[in-house]
Amino acid sequence: MGDAKQHIDKLMQELRRGTITIGVLSQLSEPQYGYSLVTMLDEKGIQVEPGTLYPLLRRLEKQGILDSKWDTNESRPRKYYLLSETGKEVFELLVAEWKNIVSSLNHLIEDEGEGK
Amino acid sequence: MEMIERYIYAVTQKLPQSQREDIAEELRGLIEDMLDERAEGRDITYRDVEEVLLELGNPKHLARRYRGDRNYIIGPELFDSYVLVMKIVMTAVAIGIIATFVIKSIIDPISILDHFVEFIVSSVTAVPSAIGWTTLGFVLADYFGGVKAEDMQFDKKWKPSDLPAIPDTKRQIKRADPIAGIIFYVVAIMFFSFSNEFFGVWLFRDNFSGVVPFLNEETHGNYLPFIILILGICILKECLKLVYGKWTSKLVVYTAAVNLVSLAAVMLMITGSEFWNPNFMNELVESGVISEGSEAFGTVSKIWEHSTTWILIFLALSLLWDVIDSIIRSRKK
Repeated sequence: MGDAKQHIDKLMQELRRGTITIGVLSQLSEPQYGYSLVTMLDEKGIQVEPGTLYPLLRRLEKQGILDSKWDTNESRPRKYYLLSETGKEVFELLVAEWKNIVSSLNHLIEDEGEGK
Repeated sequence: MEMIERYIYAVTQKLPQSQREDIAEELRGLIEDMLDERAEGRDITYRDVEEVLLELGNPKHLARRYRGDRNYIIGPELFDSYVLVMKIVMTAVAIGIIATFVIKSIIDPISILDHFVEFIVSSVTAVPSAIGWTTLGFVLADYFGGVKAEDMQFDKKWKPSDLPAIPDTKRQIKRADPIAGIIFYVVAIMFFSFSNEFFGVWLFRDNFSGVVPFLNEETHGNYLPFIILILGICILKECLKLVYGKWTSKLVVYTAAVNLVSLAAVMLMITGSEFWNPNFMNELVESGVISEGSEAFGTVSKIWEHSTTWILIFLALSLLWDVIDSIIRSRKK
């Protein structure tokens, strides 16, 4: 059992790495700051550690997928992120790819189930 | 809260200058948000800070995530080109060092020991520095980016016909054979250069008392470059075997050519009147091994006079066998 859990931990880590990006992009049609994203995703069942999310936001910004803006009007300054024009396009394509993967994999898994 | 600043400093000092301030500001906001959520209105304690920082994890790891998980110095994109260039550089350096040694030894065979020491020294110094410079070049190329594997044109389009043939074990040349050959010829070169006076009939009277040399010591210096050249050609032959790795008709032709050249060279050399020790028989008599006029004297002098012919016949036969043997091996299926 312990072995299986170890494998699952590692595989889940790999699996999550890609899906987190989709989750993050899905929430950024409205501007959000880092910690609000952590809370939002958590409420919807996607757990992301801030130590993973913050560097990810920065990387996506550097790639031009996200735009950012500092808001200094509130009690503490916060950096808000938002999908750029490219980002919107990327997100749409990514969602289409994701749906493809899901349906193909579902097909595979269910087929295997019927074979038994 | 001093600890928060220390944490932020620990993360940002490992990041590029241009991003430090921005990331520090953002992290400060994050930590304050996390503290607020944890405290839910009450005063923030030292314990809260500690727990929040523990949740964020080791600042080294966080900094690495900000830098983009670069825990390598030559990335996967450049690695193949790196290995290829390294092989080319290593081959070039090896050829350079060996060629220097061989050429110097041919030009100035008397100080072959010095050349050999130089050879060892340059191997020890040149190889690591070639590895170092090549690696440094790729590390810099990777660090500053810009260089893409496609730009370097090393990855030509792969075709199935590029696949190397599975080695044919029957025609394969065992690596040990040519290596043993090279070592033998190198030792021979050193022997002829330093200790040719021991090449002769060893005299024992109670214990070792001298040598009656086969070779003419006065003219030996003139012949030495010639001998080294012949042995050098033989080394070349062994190198070819190493490179080809299996018997092919091309290699057979090369072997035959090298054998022919070395046979001609040996013939030219040993049939010259000054090659052998002209006083060999006299010295044998003087040393008391045999006495003049005896039956043994007649036999030995006959052998001595005909030795050149016999050596040539023997050499020609063995070189011929070498060629025939390689033809047979190359034909094996």
